[in-house]
Amino acid sequence: MTKPIIRFEHVSMNYNDSKLILDDISFELEEGKFYTLLGPSGCGKTTILRLIAGFMEPTQGDIYFDGELVNNIPANERQVNTVFQDYALFPHLNVFENVAFGLRIKKVNNKEVTERVLEALKFVSLAGFENREITEMSGGQRQRVAIARAIVNDPKVILLDEPLSALDLKLRSEMQYELRELQQRLGKTFVFVTHDQEEALAMSDEIFVMNEGKIQQSGTPLDIYDEPINRFVADFIGESNIVEGRMVRDYLVEFNGKQFECVDGGVKPNEKVDIIIRPEDLVITTQGAGMIDVEVDTQLFRGVHYELSTYDADGNEWLVHSTKKAEVGETIGLHFDPEDVHVMRLNETEEAFDIRMEAYGGAEDE
Amino acid sequence: MNKSNFRPWYMIPYMIWIAFFVIAPIVLIFYYSFFDITGAFTWTNYVDFFKSTYLILTINSFWYAFLITFFTLLIAYPTAYFITKTKHKQLWLLLVIVPSWINLLLKTYAFIGIMGLHGPINAFITALGFDQQQILFTDFSFVFVAVYIFIPFMILPIFNALDQLNPSYLDAAKDLGASGWTTFRKVIWPLTLNGVKSGVQVVFIPALSLFMITRLIAGNKVITLGTAIEQQFLVTQNWGMGSTIAVFLIIFMFIIMRLTATKEIGGKKHDKVK
Amino acid sequence: MTKLSKGPKIYLAFVFLILYLPIFYLIFYSFNSGGKMSHFESFTWEHYAAVFEDTRLLVIVLNTIIIALFSALISTTIGTLGALSIYFMKNKKARETVLSLNNILIVSPDVIIGASFLILFTMLGVKLGFASVLISHAAFSIPIVVIMILPKLFEMNTSLIDAALDLGATRKDVLKRVILPYIQPGIFAGFFLALTYSLDDFAVTFFVTGNGFSTLSVEIYSMARTGVTLTINALSAILFVVTILLVVGYYFISKRSKTSIAGVKR
Repeated sequence: MTKPIIRFEHVSMNYNDSKLILDDISFELEEGKFYTLLGPSGCGKTTILRLIAGFMEPTQGDIYFDGELVNNIPANERQVNTVFQDYALFPHLNVFENVAFGLRIKKVNNKEVTERVLEALKFVSLAGFENREITEMSGGQRQRVAIARAIVNDPKVILLDEPLSALDLKLRSEMQYELRELQQRLGKTFVFVTHDQEEALAMSDEIFVMNEGKIQQSGTPLDIYDEPINRFVADFIGESNIVEGRMVRDYLVEFNGKQFECVDGGVKPNEKVDIIIRPEDLVITTQGAGMIDVEVDTQLFRGVHYELSTYDADGNEWLVHSTKKAEVGETIGLHFDPEDVHVMRLNETEEAFDIRMEAYGGAEDE
Repeated sequence: MNKSNFRPWYMIPYMIWIAFFVIAPIVLIFYYSFFDITGAFTWTNYVDFFKSTYLILTINSFWYAFLITFFTLLIAYPTAYFITKTKHKQLWLLLVIVPSWINLLLKTYAFIGIMGLHGPINAFITALGFDQQQILFTDFSFVFVAVYIFIPFMILPIFNALDQLNPSYLDAAKDLGASGWTTFRKVIWPLTLNGVKSGVQVVFIPALSLFMITRLIAGNKVITLGTAIEQQFLVTQNWGMGSTIAVFLIIFMFIIMRLTATKEIGGKKHDKVK
Repeated sequence: MTKLSKGPKIYLAFVFLILYLPIFYLIFYSFNSGGKMSHFESFTWEHYAAVFEDTRLLVIVLNTIIIALFSALISTTIGTLGALSIYFMKNKKARETVLSLNNILIVSPDVIIGASFLILFTMLGVKLGFASVLISHAAFSIPIVVIMILPKLFEMNTSLIDAALDLGATRKDVLKRVILPYIQPGIFAGFFLALTYSLDDFAVTFFVTGNGFSTLSVEIYSMARTGVTLTINALSAILFVVTILLVVGYYFISKRSKTSIAGVKR
């Protein structure tokens, strides 16, 4: 078990006594892991980053860094470096001097500065670019300069504020691999902020899904994808079919007027719940052979699969991802297994959710 | 591009203006610099310029212009900086500009009263128990009033440069360990240097050629190139010599513009105007 | 925004005090019944009355205003055409040359503009007086108008013109219905700046005005050297109020134009 490097204790944040940006947030970050704060814009994820960096002080609560209270320590005295969303590379300095900036401030001697800067540039595969002007660098290269500028100072934590959002799709997925690999080589704690769920799933050891100033759910990418705690998380991570249902008893749930087996328990009988089934878990069969029958409304070819929009007799939409083709207007059957049915209680806290998961298992125990 | 399809008839008035009021005046100044007071061709104006009186005048002009620019910058930079930090910065900026909309002569005239023997400054000095001081007609009064006149023109470009400064640069500097002063020295100052340069440009060149303030505040002495030109044209009526001094002033002007030419940091602006 | 601490606040207060000191000093003594700018005796309006009785002074004020209005109108017209000319120039080099020629008058010291215009008018045989002053003021305001309008033109999306042409507009329609409305804020700003440059000018006018004609600046200059009455103070106070009104007007126009630009962008 590694020790926590950053700890938030009941941190709240509001601007001008009006809008609550963060609402009583507590969490711990362990050393050497890749964390992602994921959520829509305005959810408070960037605020958490700025609190860790020291650009802001929390309105309430305490922030500990390496076991020490750092609420009032300014950014320039923290062992944290940030990769900014727009990179914030100084336009009046070349690549070398940008990376050297932090070392120069610490009055590191010239020889060491040169060594460390060149090493950092090599680390991000930019050896030989040290004399370039920032304007001569492409978006992806600037990104790497920004990372080099952060890692050269040997900080304990590196913060990344949506650093990939300015890049085009292909470059973005390349950089996802690179960042992940870089983090593993460095063995440092990375805190990555993004609103892109694919990015979060691909890179993180642990994801914090945030909304409206609260952490909705935290866990490994697999946990969060397979067992979303509520409608928001289910909707935000991946695509999902969400219908309202009723728990009959443990391992049996009712929706669409029928009862289905499931793997969830610990919910009071007759309690109203949300049911989610991922589109890729729905398998097309012939009419009557599946669990439910639906009529195909539209069909789109998406490259790796077909995306079908279908409707059941009650008018609920079911999104299906399938490698098999169907005919528009055709009525088909949809098959799913009990472990594909995810039951979510309404307004369940993360703690209660975790306890219930421990007790009854779920997809994790497969 | 459809741009080219527009007919150029409407270019005519503007082109006439360029010919008559930009090119012709400069050519005429050059032309006149080769004539003496009787209208005969001569080189003597140029020879005279390099004699001690005009050289001293030139050095004087530069010295005063330097002092004026220096003190203007010294006062204007912090002012601009603090204004960008205020809540209603646009309003404060407007309040800086307002005095520059008041007729220059009126403000200068007010200073004659303020600095005069019976003015409030001397009243203050005598109230403290000292003797009356002759403030008007000194170098101090001249530099002070000139600085006063130019302050808004220096504040404007610096304010704009500071205002356009991306705040994430400041965050980045802080993040990398820079203290407030280091951030200023290593990031804010270099990135607002273009604003400072424009400010220096709009102060130094006019300061070289001031003549009204010189006459009124510094006491009718011919101490700058501006006064010399005015003297030659309007008092001595020696247009030739006046033009020669003007030629040098124009040359100085181009040199200063070269020196203070703003380099595009990052070259981002070029993208806009294709 | 970080709040200003005490030191900077005092500094700003001091700078603003100095900036406004001479103006309020003038206005203060305009109410002095003693005839001088020292020793305030008692409050009086007499100097204001004197302003309106001094016909010579009133004529000069009128001259100054007429020159300012007409020169601003002329320079705005020619400057707008100039900005369009520069905008529609195909050749990049030619455009840059014209632009730098345009800027020469902006950076030139007043003395040089005055002296060279004096030579020009004498050569052309223009009688020094109203005409020469008017032409000079229009001439040195033109480049400022151009500078105010050009950025508006360049920020205009070129596809606006293409769209208008595509919808069947003639080139004249394009100019009238698309370009001019778009750059209107720039034109207004240019007009106001030309107006203030003209009202504020002393040096150029001093060179090119003859014996019979005078503007306010020139008049104050000659008075300041010989001896001044508080009538000038009263006049300054009136002008200050008028200027403030103009500034406020300008502020609102530019503010409105800002929102309208934003409207176009959206």
